[in-house]
Amino acid sequence: MKQILTIAWREVTRLRGRFSGTSPWAMVILLGALGLSALAFRQASVLGSGLYRVGVSGDVPSIRDNRFAVLAVDPARGKLLLDQRALDVFVDGAQVTARRDNKSLYTVGALKRYLEKQELARIYATYEITRAFPLRVEVNYLDTPSPNAPLAPGGTLPDLTAPPSGAPDASPNAPPTSASDAALQEQLKQVEETGALPEIRLDPGTDKEIMIPSLTTPPAPFAQVIVAFLYILPVTFISIFFTSSFMDEKINRRLTILMSAPITPLQIILGKMLPYALFALAATACIALVTRADLSLALAIFAPTTLFIFAIYLMVPLLYRTFKDTTFISMLATTLTTAYLIFPAMFTGINDLAYMSPLTLAVKMYRNESFGLQEYLFPAAPMFLIFGLSLYAGTRMLNEEFLMGYRPLTRKLADAIFLLMDRAHPYASVALLSLLVVPLVYIAQLVILAITTNLPGQAMLGGALAASALVEEIAKSMGIAVLVERGSVRSPRQVTALAFLSALGFLVGEKALLLASVSMVSQTALSAALFNTGLVFVPLAAHFVFTSVVVVLNARFRVRYPIAVIGGVILHAVYNLIVAGGLG
Amino acid sequence: MNGFLAVLKKELRSVAHERTIVIAIVIQLFIASFSSALLIGLLSLYDPDSIGVYARVRIGVGFIGAPNHPLVGLMRARGLRVFPYADSQEAEFAFQQSWVDAIIVAPDDRGGPVEMKLFLPRAEAESSLILMVLQDPLKRYENVLRAQRGIAVRYADLQGLPPTTFEFLYSIILPVLMFFPAFVAGSMVVDSLSEEMENNTLETLLSAPLSLNAAVGAKLSAALVLAVAQCVAWLALLRLNRIDVQNVALVLLLAGIVAGIVAVAAAFVTLAFRDRERSQFVYALFVLVAASASYLFDLSPIKTLTRLAIGDVFTSAANVAGFAGLFGLMLAAFFLTTKRFAAS
Repeated sequence: MKQILTIAWREVTRLRGRFSGTSPWAMVILLGALGLSALAFRQASVLGSGLYRVGVSGDVPSIRDNRFAVLAVDPARGKLLLDQRALDVFVDGAQVTARRDNKSLYTVGALKRYLEKQELARIYATYEITRAFPLRVEVNYLDTPSPNAPLAPGGTLPDLTAPPSGAPDASPNAPPTSASDAALQEQLKQVEETGALPEIRLDPGTDKEIMIPSLTTPPAPFAQVIVAFLYILPVTFISIFFTSSFMDEKINRRLTILMSAPITPLQIILGKMLPYALFALAATACIALVTRADLSLALAIFAPTTLFIFAIYLMVPLLYRTFKDTTFISMLATTLTTAYLIFPAMFTGINDLAYMSPLTLAVKMYRNESFGLQEYLFPAAPMFLIFGLSLYAGTRMLNEEFLMGYRPLTRKLADAIFLLMDRAHPYASVALLSLLVVPLVYIAQLVILAITTNLPGQAMLGGALAASALVEEIAKSMGIAVLVERGSVRSPRQVTALAFLSALGFLVGEKALLLASVSMVSQTALSAALFNTGLVFVPLAAHFVFTSVVVVLNARFRVRYPIAVIGGVILHAVYNLIVAGGLG
Repeated sequence: MNGFLAVLKKELRSVAHERTIVIAIVIQLFIASFSSALLIGLLSLYDPDSIGVYARVRIGVGFIGAPNHPLVGLMRARGLRVFPYADSQEAEFAFQQSWVDAIIVAPDDRGGPVEMKLFLPRAEAESSLILMVLQDPLKRYENVLRAQRGIAVRYADLQGLPPTTFEFLYSIILPVLMFFPAFVAGSMVVDSLSEEMENNTLETLLSAPLSLNAAVGAKLSAALVLAVAQCVAWLALLRLNRIDVQNVALVLLLAGIVAGIVAVAAAFVTLAFRDRERSQFVYALFVLVAASASYLFDLSPIKTLTRLAIGDVFTSAANVAGFAGLFGLMLAAFFLTTKRFAAS
């Protein structure tokens, strides 16, 4: 522990030295940057200002939305400008004129949504409430039918029409029921206060809610996702310093001295990580306080995310060869993690796959909705596991020979994989490696699933199955391929035995990881196909056969590794398709 | 001039050799495909006008109410399958058998507030989708009721195209594709200059018959060439996807100029700070500030690019010329001051 603190202090000193000359300016720039970005974030909800040009004449609601550039013109000139394409739409009172081209029609579409809201405000201001909002919808929930449900009609279910709303004795002028009136008043008050329509908010935990159709918008969690993203921003910035710390040691050749001191690589890594981890923790706490979120909940949600980001940025300086490498690898890592975190969160409450990102939990937190331990572990567990794997890999890769080598990136990766394994125990190493990379495979597959969900039907299934087969086959065979290349194993029998152990390790790993989470994602037919067939029920034999094909092709027949992998993937994908097809 | 070309060639070759540019292109491809996946996903789930167009779902609704109820026609017009049931027992049985996904109990309009009942499955994701598809016919029915109560709602029947795709494409995806290469170019300049300085190879480079300006200029040019090449590739890809970009030449010119401005700014930062760590940090801050600030001004590069691409008649070469002027000034200022930086 003392050594870790020493390294941490050394890191703080290094950073202070770096910025000693520039500190006041840096602070000013930093604060200015943060202020401006915050300002811009508030504007970010408005896409493309000045995108549409609208001419108005007569009694038209005032258009105060910076997407529309509004010009007041008389009708004759308005029509002329519309024909000259200087205007996209001309509004004369209640009459809307457009051209037939796409740009004009998009403008009409955008204007429609905007004017609808303005009309609602006018109606609300002009007429009494019961006339202005004549429709109330009471939303109730029924338990979803299960295949095993008894077929008896009715039975124990409550009578849906219990208090018949259209009962004959209800006189037209009878006062409306208080519940729906109160709900209407409350929603109108909310609109007045926030200036925005309330979102459709489903809470199947409650019994019933009142919905006013025109006062409701779809539940778009964009605002909450942006707030949740604020937590990630400082952590990605830290990455520049964290990666630079390792690069410094390398350039100044101080790593040799450090390694000869009586400290372990793990202590070096943890020590260098400590100051930044504390900073990330403080940043999370600050943002939670400023946005009035539950502090302990925010910390619980973002701790695994922070560790996950550190795990990725630990690998960057260990793999880099030139400065440009570092930048591009960091850029790739930032893009992938950002997409991985943001994308699913956009579908909070719409698709249960949203839970693969911890930002979804943050969105829930800001909506005051609850979530359980299972929902928490679904995104968090793989992140913790990947952090552990990254730490272990880091300790193995932190040696001078590996860090100083200048070789192609693929070679560097192969070296790294070789370092991860214990040469004295190749069998145990291969099995363990396959087991440990399961969380990575799992995250990659979730990302694949998220992307392919949007492809058309057949392409989606094929693409997802093939891509996830590729990830799995690489994961299982890479260790063996590296061992074969280094000449650690030679005979076909050894290679086949390794393939069996790799398949076994992989199967154990995925079973363990998915035991908890498979119920979360088994909703859609595709995820059922992917996770049930690809990850849980593919028997050991199938895994073994695919992996054997890859490594035997590679080792015995000298087929180049990428081509050998493709061979295995084709087999695996065909198998997946057959199993998925059989299920469907 | 020979020295300049030699450094330019060396920079381009090193990028090609290290395949780092491949990573940059992979990143951009990933961003593009991810954002279009995001767009379609969001459209199919959140855009009231697009739900049903994209989401290939046929939702069945069990309906208990008058057979000629106006809501039935409105729901069918929206693409919902409506099954009338005489009583709740039948409807519930249909729900339990998964013949219908939701049940509506609609009373007749008797002049007062109409209180309708909607029954949804308890699964959150499913019921959200159903409710969003149902919202449009319900809103239309609400307007029918308003009309019967003497309230005319204007603009309710406008026919247009769902604007979300249009806005997203031209105000987000296109600027990202055109300006991300500029960001990459700046990063490359920071790395390539700071690497020479930290490894003390800049002196070696300058001991060749080559001025500092020529050396730095060559590095800037290499970054610019790559940025423009990426933009050309993106524009070609957009054309292949039948996405219409107006004023292509001006769009490309603007993207190139912005890449130039960012690259010169990156070079300034690197000469001032000399090491990668601080330079990258300050450069990243600069980009963040510049991008955020540009949202606040009407004549920002992002907005100019969007307007050029959609063929706005009020945006033309004159707008681009302004940025070209700024780039020229920065370049001149940079080359006049490099000596001082190098001396310090």
